[in-house]
Amino acid sequence: MSVFIKYNKPGSLGTIFNVQVLWRFNSTTAETVRKEEDEEFRVLDILKKRDRQQKRTARKVNIQPDRADRMATDQNWGNVWPGPKTFHPSSVPLPLRQGYVPKGQAPPGKKANAELMKIPNFLHLTPPAIKTQCEAIKKYCTEWPKLLNSEDAIEKHYPVEVITSDYCHASPTIRNPLARIVHLRVKLSTLNLDKHAKDKFLRLVGDCYDEKTDFVTFVSDRCPMRKQNLDYVNYLLTACYHESWNVEEWEKEKCEDDMEYYDWDNNASKKSLVNWHLRCNNQEINLTDEEYKNYDISKISNANGYKEAVSSLMNDGENEDTVKNYGSAVRKLFGLPERKFVQS
Amino acid sequence: MFSRNLRNICRRYSQNVTFRTVEASPAQQNDNQIGLFYTMDKNLSKKLFGQGGLPKSYMKQTKTFTETSLMVRQPALDVIECIKSSDLNQPAIRYVLYGEMGTGKTLTLAHLIHYAHDDGFLIVHVPGVSQWLWKVPRLKEMSNSQTREGFVDLPLDAAAWLLHFKSQNQVLLKNEDLKISKEYVWSKRETTPAGAPLADLVEQGIARVKYACDVIDALVYEIKQLSNNNKCKTFVAVDGYNCFFYPRTRLSTPTKKVVMSEEVSLTTSFMEITKNDWKNGVIVVTVEDISVPRDHQESYLPRYLLYKKGFEHLDPFVPVKVDRYSEKEFLTCASYYRDRLWLRGPEQLESELKLASACNPYKFMELCAPL
Repeated sequence: MSVFIKYNKPGSLGTIFNVQVLWRFNSTTAETVRKEEDEEFRVLDILKKRDRQQKRTARKVNIQPDRADRMATDQNWGNVWPGPKTFHPSSVPLPLRQGYVPKGQAPPGKKANAELMKIPNFLHLTPPAIKTQCEAIKKYCTEWPKLLNSEDAIEKHYPVEVITSDYCHASPTIRNPLARIVHLRVKLSTLNLDKHAKDKFLRLVGDCYDEKTDFVTFVSDRCPMRKQNLDYVNYLLTACYHESWNVEEWEKEKCEDDMEYYDWDNNASKKSLVNWHLRCNNQEINLTDEEYKNYDISKISNANGYKEAVSSLMNDGENEDTVKNYGSAVRKLFGLPERKFVQS
Repeated sequence: MFSRNLRNICRRYSQNVTFRTVEASPAQQNDNQIGLFYTMDKNLSKKLFGQGGLPKSYMKQTKTFTETSLMVRQPALDVIECIKSSDLNQPAIRYVLYGEMGTGKTLTLAHLIHYAHDDGFLIVHVPGVSQWLWKVPRLKEMSNSQTREGFVDLPLDAAAWLLHFKSQNQVLLKNEDLKISKEYVWSKRETTPAGAPLADLVEQGIARVKYACDVIDALVYEIKQLSNNNKCKTFVAVDGYNCFFYPRTRLSTPTKKVVMSEEVSLTTSFMEITKNDWKNGVIVVTVEDISVPRDHQESYLPRYLLYKKGFEHLDPFVPVKVDRYSEKEFLTCASYYRDRLWLRGPEQLESELKLASACNPYKFMELCAPL
């Protein structure tokens, strides 16, 4: 076709004429062939006797009424629905409706309702059912200790708390990987630790200790099973506890920088205070470290306030208040006037 | 031309206004003058701060305003009162000025230096430690110390500082009583004999830059001796003192080894003079977060900026907080700027500027600049 167009200039009279002739010839032959096929004469069938079929009579089927309708009102529900199972409309004599519909319409009823089957139901956990089940297993239980009558008592006698989570959901598997995680927490004050052991224990557990609540929390999710994780956190607690009681050889090398709190008596601050005091009285300064440590500061007026101010500045962290306290303590020590605060 | 001169004169003598005080001597100022501006004598300000000591932006402003005006503020008065009431025969008391960036620690220090000058103190003023150790040009003149092993000298800085010291203490250095206690031998031919005036020592350092750091070391020793012997009283002021305790410096030796701040000989000298083992002295230092690099600017409180080492070095010290402007101070400052035609516009502008600057003096100044 492309070749055809290429060699025939568009618009020239001769070409148009030729093409038209070709098209006409083809269409006329096609029409003649169709006419020959439709030759047969069709009969007009007004009454359509051939297509009429016999009327189907509805066959009578003996259908039992719904079970839900036949239930007695005083039946024992626990027998009808003894355990967890998927919703079944005929077993539940309740006019339930469930499902999303456009506004203004009623939700679909309970029969053939997939929505009701999808959600988990607790029809087996009615209060009477629970009661009977509890009654049934009561014979296996021992009596609750009478002395454990309050939260405090429980906490005192059972300080270790193990927290796990169970997950209930509808899915092909009933296992949830999160169920393996075990938290074990215990209050630090309930552990039997001395000064050294407590310091070491805190250094060992690091972030696991919460200062506000005094709880040491071990969390384990490293093993695939809950039992294994539980064993592991128990091991952690035991190991940390016993390790903190050990005193290693290198722990004697602990110096002032490694201290967990600021002890003013051991620090340079006391030294400089004593030096300052001696200089004020024009005394010789040749004290050993021991003498500095044991120097009685009660002779120096206002020194106790200064000691507390420095200790709080170091232990509580530096902020506006501690710096201000420190300033006023130093002013008292030096006998300087207090700072006036202008009213703005 | 005539009208401009007249206007200038009027502006210069606009003294009888509410935001100024005629009390130009810091020793006489009291609480009634808090928030008011006083004008420092031109020659005096050139003498005290000609070689540095005031912030750059403030220097520009003094040029624009044709006067060096300082606001009388509570921290400075507080320290002055403390100095007055303290016994100078006791060991020197250290004051630490701290506060947020731009609240006027350096200007408070300048105010105190003015007081010290008027009161006859020998002034040992370090205008910017950070210019020695941290905010340094890429190629800084430095050499290994000849006298002390493992130390680094900054001879040019030391000589510049000696010049500053000399110009600040022009009057006192003429005093014949200030004599050197022992002989200093610089080289085979150069010695400073015992009994020579203190000014000779300073001159020696300026003339022979090579020995400037050693001269400073000797000077510090001599000043302490003289103060102990009641020959003079000394006012030590160090701006950006915490820079001495930031472990690193921007200096590096020819072998590309970073110099620690305690390896600079100037550090040891000024560490020596800020100890409290001498009397007849007052030591005022400022701690600034901007004089150390960004990684140590989280707080402006002294213990954080000084590190444990610096805190123990200064302890016990009197912390003095320099706060932002109070209501009254802000208003007088605004009216001062209006007087200087630095701030124009409607009255409501003040409240807007107050909110925008949050009463921070430096920010307020910055915001007023384009107005």
